[in-house]
Amino acid sequence: MKPKISRAKDFYAGLIFAFFGVLALWEGRHYGMGTANRMGPGYLPNVLGVILCLLGLIISGRSLWLGSETLKPGALRPLVLVTVAVLAFTFLIQPLGLVLATLALVGISSIGSGEFRLREAVLLYLILVVLAVGLFVYVLKIPFRVWP
Amino acid sequence: MKKCILSIASLALSCLFVALSVSGVLALDYPNKPIRIIVPFAPGGPNDVVARLVAEKLTESWKQQVMVDNKPGADGAIGMELAAKAAPDGYTIILGTSGSVIVTPSLYTKLRYDPVKDFAPITHLTTTPIVLLVNPALPVRSVKELIALAKTKPGQFSYASPSSIFYLVGEMFKLRAGVDVAYIPYKGGAPSMTALISGEVAMLYDTILTVVPQVKAGKARAIAICSAKRSPVMPDVPTMLESGLSDFEASSFSALLAPAKTPPEIVQKLNTEIVRILHMPVVQERLSKMGADIVGSTPAEFSTHIKAELEKYARVIKAAGIPRIK
Amino acid sequence: MTEIIHNLMLGFGVALKPLYLFYCLVGVLLGTLVGVLPGIGALATIAMLLPVTFSLPPEASLIMLAGIYYGAQYGGSTTSILVNIPGEAACVVTCIEGYQMARQGRAGPALSIAALASFFAGSIATGIIVLFGPPLTEVALKFGQAEYFSLMLLGLVGAVVLAHGSLLKAFAMVFLGLLFGLVGTDVYSGITRYNFGTRELFDGIGFVPPAIGLFGFAEIIANMEQKETVEVFTTKVRKMMPSRTDFQASWKAILRGTALGSFLGILPGGGALLSSFVSYTLEKKIAADPARFGKGAIEGVAGPEAANNAGAQTSFIPMLTLGIPGNAVMALMVGAMMIQGIVPGPGVMTERPELFWGLIASMWVGNLLLVVLNLPLIGIWIRLLTIPYRLLFPAILLFCCIGTYSVNNSTFDVLMATGFGLLGYLFRKFDCEPAPLILGFILGPMLEENLRRAMLLSRGDPTVFLTRPISLGILLTAVFLLLLTVLPVIQRTRGVVFKE
Repeated sequence: MKPKISRAKDFYAGLIFAFFGVLALWEGRHYGMGTANRMGPGYLPNVLGVILCLLGLIISGRSLWLGSETLKPGALRPLVLVTVAVLAFTFLIQPLGLVLATLALVGISSIGSGEFRLREAVLLYLILVVLAVGLFVYVLKIPFRVWP
Repeated sequence: MKKCILSIASLALSCLFVALSVSGVLALDYPNKPIRIIVPFAPGGPNDVVARLVAEKLTESWKQQVMVDNKPGADGAIGMELAAKAAPDGYTIILGTSGSVIVTPSLYTKLRYDPVKDFAPITHLTTTPIVLLVNPALPVRSVKELIALAKTKPGQFSYASPSSIFYLVGEMFKLRAGVDVAYIPYKGGAPSMTALISGEVAMLYDTILTVVPQVKAGKARAIAICSAKRSPVMPDVPTMLESGLSDFEASSFSALLAPAKTPPEIVQKLNTEIVRILHMPVVQERLSKMGADIVGSTPAEFSTHIKAELEKYARVIKAAGIPRIK
Repeated sequence: MTEIIHNLMLGFGVALKPLYLFYCLVGVLLGTLVGVLPGIGALATIAMLLPVTFSLPPEASLIMLAGIYYGAQYGGSTTSILVNIPGEAACVVTCIEGYQMARQGRAGPALSIAALASFFAGSIATGIIVLFGPPLTEVALKFGQAEYFSLMLLGLVGAVVLAHGSLLKAFAMVFLGLLFGLVGTDVYSGITRYNFGTRELFDGIGFVPPAIGLFGFAEIIANMEQKETVEVFTTKVRKMMPSRTDFQASWKAILRGTALGSFLGILPGGGALLSSFVSYTLEKKIAADPARFGKGAIEGVAGPEAANNAGAQTSFIPMLTLGIPGNAVMALMVGAMMIQGIVPGPGVMTERPELFWGLIASMWVGNLLLVVLNLPLIGIWIRLLTIPYRLLFPAILLFCCIGTYSVNNSTFDVLMATGFGLLGYLFRKFDCEPAPLILGFILGPMLEENLRRAMLLSRGDPTVFLTRPISLGILLTAVFLLLLTVLPVIQRTRGVVFKE
């Protein structure tokens, strides 16, 4: 099965790899290289950085040379929705506890999903919060803060 | 008039009294809420076991929940830092070990805690002797033979070290004995023991508890113990001093410390009770099964011990030219 | 022979006592639960329950903790297949084929085969422990740093083989994963690398944030984008049991997986992890029709699951016979024994035979309990899949978040998972597969550690990897595998160039 080389996809993919490669080399310049025999902390990171930059360049370069299709733009909404929901949970769980953080997460996800039905969402939330608290706090005895 | 002043004064005094005792300063009703012992290692290790034992007995005698909170990471530094910054009210104490209290501060320059300034020692709980093992295929039965053999083949032998304290002990040995052996670090007792048994390294330093089963099974040979006296667990193994090395004493300790500004009365109360627990027969039995010797010193004695250990290893680091890490 | 029978009877006598049976059940139930829940895994649970074992008799505590360990393997494959989230590092491979099978409505057969393969492998592996335990440890001891390095290298080649898209991108993902794996404190120099000043990254990025982010969050986002695929789950979910063809395809894979896993599990220092990857690589390479892989080939579930479970069982061997824990979970078991005042080591077999053989017998009992438990559950899981996605995904999101948070009680971990989620989304858009990355991530630090240590031990002599026979053998296998994978692509590209 011959993988199609897609122009835009590979181009951006190569960019990502090269980005991390450069990042690795930039931070890694502080770490001692040592010798091949006594490798310092920087040896492998810098080697990897170089490899990633090279691969990134090859992949991006190759895409320009042989590429065909362009990229469909992605839908922004799911991305933003999931990110916001998870971030809400993250920032609420310590100050406000599990119950409210769950409310935020479930609420944002449900409302943002575009097919929001209030009764359904409330039922979902209740089931989930009981499950979550029951499982994690009571069965597994993890020290969560449940309420603010 | 006098009555008025008197009543106001007594009211004020009693308010002061209540406020002080609620804030724990007078330590009269300490403890009145749960106490947390931070253990800066993953659960299941020997130090963790000691901490849990103490916690269990403290809970029994004080009728207050004393729980262990494992906060592993960075060789103990994460837990120590947490404890250094905790409220000095006696409700957070930390289990310190040679590694986190002595060795890590000696090797790293930019730590966020200072073992002397940020902590008030409570008591030195146990001392566990460190043992030097060799692979049984090696034709040496004593330290003298080992030194002789190593001198004929400089740089050829290596020793395994499960964590940094054994690194310092190993370097101390090299200094005192005048031999050149290579240091191979391992992440913990298991891989280093495997390395010794399989012959990948010639020597290993580890605490007595971990080595007893392998020595009994003949997979490793103990040639010296680094404490001042022989251990009843391995009575035939001579000490380093007996083997001819001067000024060589190393062991691993576990201890309890509190944040620096904890009121001395609370520290003393903890010390008294914990020392009492340490001398309970059931506790003694459990701990000696682990090869640990109970110490139970006073805060002042332990503080002196900490300073002495810090100094000892500082000298080793300087003499061996060990680079300190930023 | 009679001695073995005597030991087995002693063992089963202990394991089948009502009290210990109860704790076995508790252990496997907890393990399954914890394996199904994303984020939290066997390690964290065992660590949390360690204090509880203080008050239990030693046999009970070990039986329960062991049950949690291999129970989590069973549970982890469930989430891998159903929602493409690996519960444990060893379950990553199951995601690849298992999830594809689920998308084709074949979640039932996938789950059943996983359970049956695991049971078969677990039983065989237990038998191996009984018969060959001590001699096998001798073999394990022959593996030194050089051998481990070569093994990790083989694992990495396997990671590249896993990919079914562009080979170059697969390589890049593996290397990127390696880089991520290096974040944290360097054992040798004590310097922290790539932690950008944060204390939380002192010990590196854990397994959970990238796994949840790259597999969980990214998958949810991708699913929501493609509204039409959401229907696949609801309409085509059919049978529960595998068909005859499924069985025929799988049984050889199961045998191979069991053999692989049993052997690799003995190696202390990460052997069990590799077993599922190597099994998958093997299956893909010897399949008559390798194009099926990546689209729901059942051998890709059967083999790795068997290898996984076999490895989990045999990883007890070094701990039981030598007292040397092979991985972090075994180290906790050692701790559990020490709490009880038992010092693990070669003497345990003779000093406390009821404990030793009882534990081994309970492992088989536990496997039986698990298969009996999990098969009916499959019906429930399949039904869960029919829930409309708009209700399902908040639930998955929630459990991912809680699971990630619960490992270290750290919001930083959840933030990292979010970051990996975004990265994973980009990767999906650009046709880069996450599996090679996460494998590189797992193997990276081990690779580096073993490489440096091997060099230290050989005093800088790089030929040590070639002069030691086992290491040479493994390296040759790795090179061979690599050539097998790369050459066809080169030929094809040449073909393309010539056509033009």
